[in-house]
Parts: sequence; structure tokens; C-alpha cells
Amino acid sequence: MSYWPTFLNPWAAALASAIAIPSLLILYFLKLRRREMTVPSTLLWKKAVQDLQVNAPFQRLRKNLLLFLQLLLLLLLLLAFSRPVTNYSPGAGTTTVILIDRSASMGTKDPDLKGLTRLEEAKRRAKDLVETLGKNAQAMVIAFDETAETIAPLSADIPALKRAIDSIQQTDKKSRLKTAYQLAEAQASFNPEQLRPGVGTLPDVWVYSDGRVTDAAELTIRGNLKYDKVGSDKTGNVAIVAMNAKRNYERPTEVQIFARLANFGTEAVNADVQLTVDGKVRAVAGTSLVPERWTEQQREKATAKDSVEFTIEMTAAGVVKVEQMHKEGDALAADDAATVVVPPPKNLAVLLVTEGNFFLELAMKSLQLQNPQQLLPAAYENAKPANFDVIIFDRYQPKFLPPAGNFVYFGATPPDSKIKGEPPVYVPKPPKEKKVVGVIDWKRDHPILRHLQLGSHGFADPIKLTVPPEAEVLMEGPTGPLMVMMREKFSTQFVMAFDVIESTWPLKPSFPVFMHNLMQFLAVGSEMDVRPQFEPGSTPRIQRALLQRVAPGITSVRVNGPAWSKDVPVPANGDLALPPLDRVGLYTTSPALPPFDQVAVNLLDFNESNVVPVDQPPGGVGDKIAEGGGKSRLELWWWIVACAALPLLLLEWWVYTRRVHL
Amino acid sequence: MTVAQAPKNDLLLDPGFMARLDQLDVMSRKLLAGKMKGERRSKRRGQSMEFADYRNYVVGDDLRFIDWNIYARLDRLFLKLFLEEEDLSVYVIIDVSRSCDYGNPNKALYLKRVAAALGYIGLVNYNRVNIVAMADGIVAETGALRGRRRVGQMIDFVSKLRPTGASHLASACKRFALAHRQKGVLVVLSDFFDKGGYENGLRYVAGGKYDLFAVQCLSPQEIEPDLQGDLKLRDMEDDDMAEVSITQPLIKQYKANLNAYCLGLKDYVTRRGGTYLFASTSVPFDTLVLNYLRERGLLG
Repeated sequence: MSYWPTFLNPWAAALASAIAIPSLLILYFLKLRRREMTVPSTLLWKKAVQDLQVNAPFQRLRKNLLLFLQLLLLLLLLLAFSRPVTNYSPGAGTTTVILIDRSASMGTKDPDLKGLTRLEEAKRRAKDLVETLGKNAQAMVIAFDETAETIAPLSADIPALKRAIDSIQQTDKKSRLKTAYQLAEAQASFNPEQLRPGVGTLPDVWVYSDGRVTDAAELTIRGNLKYDKVGSDKTGNVAIVAMNAKRNYERPTEVQIFARLANFGTEAVNADVQLTVDGKVRAVAGTSLVPERWTEQQREKATAKDSVEFTIEMTAAGVVKVEQMHKEGDALAADDAATVVVPPPKNLAVLLVTEGNFFLELAMKSLQLQNPQQLLPAAYENAKPANFDVIIFDRYQPKFLPPAGNFVYFGATPPDSKIKGEPPVYVPKPPKEKKVVGVIDWKRDHPILRHLQLGSHGFADPIKLTVPPEAEVLMEGPTGPLMVMMREKFSTQFVMAFDVIESTWPLKPSFPVFMHNLMQFLAVGSEMDVRPQFEPGSTPRIQRALLQRVAPGITSVRVNGPAWSKDVPVPANGDLALPPLDRVGLYTTSPALPPFDQVAVNLLDFNESNVVPVDQPPGGVGDKIAEGGGKSRLELWWWIVACAALPLLLLEWWVYTRRVHL
Repeated sequence: MTVAQAPKNDLLLDPGFMARLDQLDVMSRKLLAGKMKGERRSKRRGQSMEFADYRNYVVGDDLRFIDWNIYARLDRLFLKLFLEEEDLSVYVIIDVSRSCDYGNPNKALYLKRVAAALGYIGLVNYNRVNIVAMADGIVAETGALRGRRRVGQMIDFVSKLRPTGASHLASACKRFALAHRQKGVLVVLSDFFDKGGYENGLRYVAGGKYDLFAVQCLSPQEIEPDLQGDLKLRDMEDDDMAEVSITQPLIKQYKANLNAYCLGLKDYVTRRGGTYLFASTSVPFDTLVLNYLRERGLLG
């Protein structure tokens, strides 16, 4: 970086110097009226003058301090008049297109930018450039990330251009330059004549970016492209570059979260990764990250662990957040955390097929079910319903079963299943022949049976079940399994070997709890996937049918994001497109519109998280501006006046009044 | 010595000071032949009471000085010789060029007072006193004066001297030397600022028949110039102009040059058997006469 000042007004100052300095000298000598004094002899005086002149060339000038001070003052004023500036970059051309990167990586706070983000630094440099616009020059401002947006059309209004630059907001989107270049070409009204050699001048295109664009290979532009690199090579960043969450198919209440981290700094770091669910810390894991900029050989020598895996139990909805905790030297915050929304259990449509069962009917009423219905077995066989999430068969083995779904059997066994019962359906016996059995053991850690005390219950004459090895026995009695779960094809079979009426269980509080847990479990199992994660800038579309179903007649939806909160009007027809979710974080809708009531937007972009700026212009198109170019331009003229000329004037006054001589 | 004892400004010599001068006489380091009988021992043999030597009688000698006792013993005629006492010629050359009319106290007045004092001392001791005023030549002179009765004439001459013309030491000294062949004490009172160079003048009077005393008299304003600013300096004698801008280096250089000038004069005079005396007019006049001139051997 050169601090040598540049002069904005050199020729005028040189002309003024050529006139003023000789004028001062002439005036000085003209005005010099020597006082006449009589001395006895000029002999010694002349000799003294001659001696001094011999020893000191320009003695006549040198010996007069006042003249020198006046000359110095004049020179300082002329220097100020030449408008010296420091940190000056070449000015804008006649037509200048300013492209400012506002993508995620531009949110990096480089250590040498003193608290500013790269975008703020880019804006500052762009404003400096705008200040250099000449009289007939015009400039336009385009901000780009994944898309490009014209912030200010071609204009010569410098304040308006600066306001436009100030209005550019940070996004967490990816960076693509091609559309920006196309927009610049289109908007700058490039004249085809300009392309002929020697005819016209191409516009200057200034790109303020860190060069981390995804489409560098596709770039071409007609114009004098100047790339002003923003950012430092020494900046560090630990980022979450990949994250995935899924439910365990075998154990739907179990959520597994995977995350991969990357270190874009210069030194290896150990970073902790923290997992929170709805803001509560559930787990912490450590990673050991080597810098991505290291060579393969360096990376092989180091021991690295760049991914973590968490397994947690989740039967309810929640927002899972993975966050890397190594904040020291971390310049980019947008990639420090990633969230995923685990949906709530589905509100189930449940059908009870029974001849009549007071306890089950009562239990179904107590559960908050979407569409509880009850059919007699004959009616069921006739109707062959297929749109229920769960069908409970009470002491009845159906002849028809939908191809997929959840089926619960009380005192019955499934048809055509590997689970066999003897007898297939519970047969009541005379009271004297009834044989009540207890529970020997049950799976206390299973989500359905967790926290339940089942040891004191009695069940009369349970069906003797024969279960295949893949079936999971949840409760076992002395005569065999009492409760079995098995997944077959697209179905989940849940078989209870006993009749609830002929047991002591319904009278205990654990029964409604069991029913609730069962419905939760089946509901979770019916939606195995977590909510999709969106990239920054996504515009999720809410289908009309969903709107009609959840909130008919709604006119606007409020979207609350990490950076803003907006009311989005709902169109009369068609789907509702949410505004671009351009910052990372969790967005919510009000009223809640599942599955869009909570939307997770994550960066998870290796390229954007890589905060090492690219030295050369993206795609090798254009020239790189020397480092320091476009930095703040400091006008020095008033410093010269304040710090040098005024004190000099005071000194001159003092010399004049005191007649100080060299 | 106090200023109160010095003569008043309008008087060259006041009576009290003259009374003190009565005790002094002009001294010469050389035995110089006089012109008339006087009170000072001469190189010549004469008729004083003091025996000097014997010599053989030759025909024509005065028979009164034959030592008859020796003739009686040796039968040869010897003549007794006695020391002669003659008067002393005291020349005072006083510079009356315009450059002397400068300074406070005024150089010309100061020089006239010294000349008057020396003349007075010479006259009261029966010396042959000749006061010569010089500028670009010899302007005036008293002629040989002798005896106390001539004091009034001498003081009248000195008091009437007025600054005139430019210094031309060479022509003045040359004319003086040609006109005054009588040996004696020569006191030159001047500032010795001669653009032609003092050497050309002093070479006529230094050494040889004169016992030279060079008294250089400068005013305090010449020794420590109190000048400031850009000046056009006009020479009092020839109206020569010098444009100077007074600076500390210039003042320093001026003083160095003045010092070198005075030392050069002193060196020139002393190497030729003379005596040099520097006097500032700020030194009280009586101090110069009663102390400095006595210390230098001019007065005794």
C-alpha cells in the first residue's frame, strides 16, 4: 500500500506556483526599503558581507528568515491548493458499472477490517469510487448474490449513488456473477460500436467481491473489468458445511443427526459441536479440524475428525440446532450453526372396529385424534376404508386390510401374517374357567412403554402368540408374548394378545398413557422424514389446498425471520410464495401453516464458507486492482492548512514583531 | 578615577586636570637629539654638570675643558666631556577626518582632549610640541611650541579643529615626515580607518627617527554595533554605500574583522618598534591619560 499522496489539482497548483512564487520574490525585493544609516567607515562592513557571501552561497536569501517563512507558507498553501490525497485509487471512467457482492461470504469480518464486514468494506470502497466521478461521467450499482439486482441505474447523481450503495443489504445466498455481468451489459446500454477496435470506449466494470463465485468458468463480459478483492488471506473460519438429520427406521423416535465441519483458517483447531433441541443443550461432541488450505500431504500427517453424529430420542416436535462453538478467530457467523425442524407427530385418523368396547371408546375420546371413527366389523368389511392412519381391531380379525397403514389388534391376530395366534381371536371363557395371567417382563425403554408400571396387571386367557424372530416382543406373560410389534411390507402390526375388557389394565392410569404413547409412536412412524432444509434465498411455495385446509379465507401470512418480519398477502388464487428467505436461521409463519410453520434455512455451502478470497478476477476475466486500491481517500489539504500553514503564519508574525534573524 | 575629575564637555582640559598633568612628562624610549637646550639628556656631549667621558685634545678645542690634573701627571692634554641636556620634540598627529565625528562619546572630542593633554604635558616640560591635524593630508599644525606660555595657543588650536575630509593617512604621514626631520616622540591619534590602508601611511613614521605611539580610538557603537534590519550604510567620509541585512552571522563577522584589523595594526606598529594602544571612547578620558598612557610608557 502506498501512502504517497496523489494530487487532484496538480496543473492548477503548478500554474499558481509559477505565478505566485516569483511574484512574492519580486514583491519582497521591491518592498525592501533599506533604512539609511551613517557609519564612520563601510570598510569593515563590506568586508564582512563579502566574507559571508564567500562562505555561504545564496546568503542574501538564506539570511532572511522572514522571506523564507513567507515562501514556505506560500508553498504550503499551493500544496494545499493542489488537493493532495492519500490512498487514492484510479477514478471512475465515463461509464462505470459497480458490482457489489452481497453473498454470504461477504458477511465475513476480517481482522484487518476493524470490525467491518467485507460487504461494508466493499460499500465503502465503492462510495470512494463514486466520489471520483467526473462531470460527464455516469455510474450504476448492481448488487449480486445468487441473482443480480440493479440498485441504481446509470446516474451522475453522486449522493444518490452513495445512498443506493448504502442500501445494499447482506444476504446469506451463494454468489453467482454471470447474471450480474449479463445485467450489467444489458443495463449499461453497451453500444456495439464500442466493440470495434479503436471506436468508442468500453465501460468500466468494477467488481467488489472476495471472488468466491460458483460460476467462474462461465464468465465473460464486454467491458474493462476491474476486480477489487475484498478480504484477507489470513482470515479464519470454522464452518458447518454439511448437516443431515433422519429418524431411525427401526426406532422412529430416535433421530440421528450428522454434521461435517471444515476449517478455512490457517491453523488446526479443535472445535466443539453443540446440539440443542428447542434451545436446550442435549449433547456436545468434539472435532479436530485441519485447515482446508493445507496440502494433501499435510492433511494426511495430521489426525483429523471433521464430522460428528448425534442420536437423540424425540417423540415430540422440535427444532434441532447444531452449532460449532469455536468462535475465536471465526470471521463468518452464518455458517456456525445449522438447524433442522423435526415435525410434530401426525394428528392421526383412527378407526375403531369393534362390536362395542367401553374402554377403547373412552380412550379414543381422550386422545386428540383428527378423525376418530368407529365401525362394526360388518360395516368395516363393507366399507373397506383405506384413508385411516390407524385401525384398531377389537377382538376381530379382518378379512380386508388396506395395503399400508398401522393396525392395532386387541385380542386378535392379523390375517395373513407371520404372527400366529391360538386361537386367532380372543374367545371368552366361562368365569370359572378363566385363567388370569400377569406380566413377567416388558420393555421399559421402549417409547410406548416408557415410565409405565405393568407388573400388577392381570389379563384373562390371552391368545397364545407365535411370533417370528423379526417381531419385537414388548410385553411377555407366562404363556407367551402379550404385546408384539412387527413391521411387514408397508404396514405396522401391533398385536395385543388380550382383551382389554377381560383385564385389570383399563382401570389403571397406565392404560390411557399407553394409548397415548402408542398413538404418538405410530404418528411419528408415519412421518419418518424431518422437514426439508432450505438454501438461503429459497422461496417456498405453500399450496392452495393447504391454505384452504388450515386457514380458509386467510388474507395475509406473517413471516418472522432472523433478520426481518413481513406480512405476505395471500393471493386470491393460486399458491402462496413466501418471500426469499435470504438469511440463515429459522423462519416461522403466523398463523402456523404446517409444514411451513417452521422453516430452517442453512448455508451449508463449502464455497461460501471458504473465506479465503480469490486473488485473481473470477474466471480470469479483467484486471486485478492493486491492493489498497479503492481504499479510503483522505484529502490532505486542510491538514496542511491546519497543522502547518497556520502555525507557520503565527511564527511569521512572531518573527516579524520580534525581528528575529538567523 | 571618577568621571567628575574629567574635564567638562565644553572644555578640553579643566584646571584641576591640568594640575594633575603637571606632574607628568613625555617619555621617550630613545635618546634623541634635541634642537635647543632643554631639560632632557641628549645624545650630544655638552655643558651639563654630568661627566660623560675623556678624549684627546685637538687643536681648536675649548681650553676651559682641558683636565689640567691629568696634564700634570701624564703631560698630555685630555679634554673632559659632559652630557648635553636638550629639549624633546613631541609630535601629536590628530585625525580630524569626518569619520572621527561619530559615536557617543564623540571620537573627535575624545581625540582632541588627548591631544590637548599631551600638548600640555609637553609644553610644561619645555619640550618642543607640534600638533598636526590630518585628514586627506595635513590640514593644520601649530608649529613648534615651547614653554608653558604656549599652552593657551596650543589649546586654542586644538579646540578650533573641525572634522573635515576623508582619511588619507599615507599622504598626511608622508608630508609630515618630509616636513619634520627633527627626531622626537610621535603620537598618532586616529581610528585608522583608511581605505587606502594604514600601512602606507605608517611606514613613513614607524621606526627611524620617531618614537611612535599609535593610539586607535573607536566609539562603543563601532565596537558593538547596535544595528537591526535591512540597512543602507553610508560612509561618512566618501559617501560610499553598503547594503546590508543585519543578521547575527553578519555582526559576528564584523566583529571578527574589526578584531583582526586592530590586531593587524598593533602587529604592524610593534614590529616597527612602536607602541600601540587601543582606546574606546567609553573609557573615561582621564583614565586613558593618567593610566593607560603611563602604562604604555608614553608618560612618566
